[in-house]
Amino acid sequence: MSLDGSHRPNRRRRTAEVVFQPATHNGMQRGIDRIANAIRPTLGPRPRIVAIDRIQASADERMPELLDDGGTIAKRIIQLADRDADVGAMFLREVLWRLHDQVGDGTATTAVLFQAIYSGGIHYLASGGNSMRLRTFLEAGMWRILETLDDVTLQVSGQDKLAEIAESICFDPELAAMLGEIFDIIGEFGRLEVREGRGRGLEREYVEGMYWDRGLVSREMVIDAHRQRADLENAAILITDLEIGEPRDLFPVLELALRAEIPALMIVARKVSERAVGFLVTNKQPERFQVIAVTTPGWSQESQAAALEDLAILTGGRAFIAAAGDTLQHVRISDLGRARRVWADHEHFGVVGGQGDARGLRRHIRDLRRAYEVAAHERSPSRTGGKPAVRKNLSERIGKLMGGSATLWVGGATEVEIKQRKAVAERTAAAVRLAMMDGVVPGGGAGLLASQAVLEEMLHGITDPDERAAYRILMHAVAEPMRTIVSNAGFDPGTAMARINVSGAGFGFDVQASADEQVVDMVEAGIYDATAVQKSAVFAAVSSAALALTIDVVVHHREPEKATRPKPSARKQF
Amino acid sequence: MGNAEIDDIVYALAASPNFAADGVCFAARYSGLYRSEDGGQTWHDAYASLDLHQELPTTAVAVSPNFVRDGTVFAGAPGGILRSADRGETWIVEDLPSPPPFVSIIGVSPNFVDDGTLFAGTLEDGVFRSNNRGRHWAAWNFGLLDLNILCLAIAPDFAASDTLFVGTDSAIFRSTNGGRAWREVDFPTDWAPVLSLATPPSLAGNHNHTLLAGTESHGLCRSEDGGQSWERINLDHDGPVNVIVTDTVGSPTSRSILLALDDRLVLSRDGGRTWSSWGNSSDLQHGIACVTAPQGLTDEAPLLVGLVEGGVVRA
Repeated sequence: MSLDGSHRPNRRRRTAEVVFQPATHNGMQRGIDRIANAIRPTLGPRPRIVAIDRIQASADERMPELLDDGGTIAKRIIQLADRDADVGAMFLREVLWRLHDQVGDGTATTAVLFQAIYSGGIHYLASGGNSMRLRTFLEAGMWRILETLDDVTLQVSGQDKLAEIAESICFDPELAAMLGEIFDIIGEFGRLEVREGRGRGLEREYVEGMYWDRGLVSREMVIDAHRQRADLENAAILITDLEIGEPRDLFPVLELALRAEIPALMIVARKVSERAVGFLVTNKQPERFQVIAVTTPGWSQESQAAALEDLAILTGGRAFIAAAGDTLQHVRISDLGRARRVWADHEHFGVVGGQGDARGLRRHIRDLRRAYEVAAHERSPSRTGGKPAVRKNLSERIGKLMGGSATLWVGGATEVEIKQRKAVAERTAAAVRLAMMDGVVPGGGAGLLASQAVLEEMLHGITDPDERAAYRILMHAVAEPMRTIVSNAGFDPGTAMARINVSGAGFGFDVQASADEQVVDMVEAGIYDATAVQKSAVFAAVSSAALALTIDVVVHHREPEKATRPKPSARKQF
Repeated sequence: MGNAEIDDIVYALAASPNFAADGVCFAARYSGLYRSEDGGQTWHDAYASLDLHQELPTTAVAVSPNFVRDGTVFAGAPGGILRSADRGETWIVEDLPSPPPFVSIIGVSPNFVDDGTLFAGTLEDGVFRSNNRGRHWAAWNFGLLDLNILCLAIAPDFAASDTLFVGTDSAIFRSTNGGRAWREVDFPTDWAPVLSLATPPSLAGNHNHTLLAGTESHGLCRSEDGGQSWERINLDHDGPVNVIVTDTVGSPTSRSILLALDDRLVLSRDGGRTWSSWGNSSDLQHGIACVTAPQGLTDEAPLLVGLVEGGVVRA
């Protein structure tokens, strides 16, 4: 309806095109194959690279993007010209994209599993099977696969084992050795920052204590001009999200600190006005009393409250919260946190040797771990569920409170190499964390292959054709990752799989070994997959492929909408 | 033996591995470090070469397992570790990071000859580690959620397992990577503080690490699985267990355990099943601060006992 009340025809008529079977299945499979086949070469220790042409490249950026990460490759494929195929492609892309966000790894395994299940499924449905019943039995089989993965899971610890796991993921011995050392020290929740290095190799640094990503409120507060940093010993800490507008706001705290002969004070506040900073700077008496001020960490009210809570428990102080109506007028000496050392530069501040109650700190960490477990198990068979941001936030808080962090600098010969290796390091680090939490299974697809025997057992005595088809489809699919790894390495998968099948459970194909030693016990060979990654891949692939098989009709808009990044809240959970 | 010249608290004692022949031992006390070369009969200022103008409170002392050859001694003082390579004649001071930590205990790797590793536990700053024979020290406190270190025990198979334990005000922590990271063991929180720890080699029998923990108010506790589960040992004493001495140099199969309680020593010859008093407790009535058994816990072996009110008793 126009403003003048007259009717005008819509210029973009939204007439629809409706697609029925068998065109629906055939079209979707074309799209699924397109995506899966683009990602398939990246699976295994001898991956091949997928080059992505740049859409908007400047003259000096004609170099295509070189990728070996299924999740990113899927992200880059935003539309297929064949509209029926596009539906299938975007369906799988969404599954892989979400898995990449949630887990960080396992997208290639998911892609080949999904493809095998969908392909097997439509062949069966073409012969008259019932898609809804097939979906039910596929999901029943999926839970048995997940149980089998649990059964063959091993818990791991120690630098050498962690390095083996890392190498099974990144296939980079130097990076794996360093990640093994780092995670052996920082633990599964430990804070690790991966940064681009300036050299050609890898370097790591461990930082004692906790630090937050907010720094000094003024350059005038730098004590060590050379390092552009301030260090205070045996400091008291005022913890607040209040804004300090006038110097007089600080008088109660400063008087209290001076009366108690506290040698140093760090003020953590949302904002300190220039007048207040000027007052502190002009009245400083380094030999008697030193004061620095830093900005309250966190970007939202919620994250600020969390950071202040952690800081208060760590140092034994009390957080003064604006939303609670707190003021600084009645601060008591026991409200100030204490630490052996505090430091701050322009970007960060840190606390070493917080003097809060050790029992209270451990209780707090236990509470955060419980919250993490709840968040991580939301709609997930392993610790990969819930909102990644919530998990990340809780994990970072726990890591900070555990007493240290690590930084890994990833170098390389070219910028492209550095970026690529950094991405691999981040992906591997995420998988190693999950391996430390949920354990590992025999790698190279051997863990998944172990469920073939269980699925075969499920077939005994079953006469329902839909159920039999579901388990047979899954039996074929669980071998597909290993088959792909062998094929990607340039070997004949048929011969290799035959040799593996006669060797027994836990055996797989070590593509890096010499010809007569390739079929090995994967655990003995130190080749692992993170259980959580494998379970997440199975869960994502089977549940979403089973759902895709129930799609009978596709409706195309006249003008297809452009693919966009789905909003997390809008994503469908399978 | 009398109380010799020492009349302030003896924080720690350490003796030469060849004590039976050389009689060398050290006593760390508030007024400094003392050395005896006659099995604790007479004591001399070990810091004489430093020509100090005031007392240097010394709160920990340890000798190298290869002391007979390398003559290496370490002493803990506020803010630093002193190192001697000539049996305590001369010293080099290695500063610990500021603010000055209070060193509560020094532990030397049983494999020190090869790995050069030692540890310094502190009262507010956690554990410092050196892997170059005490020349440089760095704090390694990942996962150590209580920085008040009261005691430290290094596994006898440290060379293979990289395992050590620390007892704190509120818990016991275990490291399996040579002291670079720590995880809390499942010790009941209300049984802490943990004043003393020991990893007796003869009781272990496997690599799971038997661990004995002396607490402030819950007597002696034992774990046979590296700290995952604990039981209290029937000791008829709920007060502080200040020191645990196990037989590391006597018979390799000895199951002897000596405990220093408030003012008496008790001994078990059967791994903690039964206990009996050791020695004359009248000498110890003012409180036991530390004990060392340089020749093991056989009946004839001497025992050096450092007292709270000063003095070293040879029992």
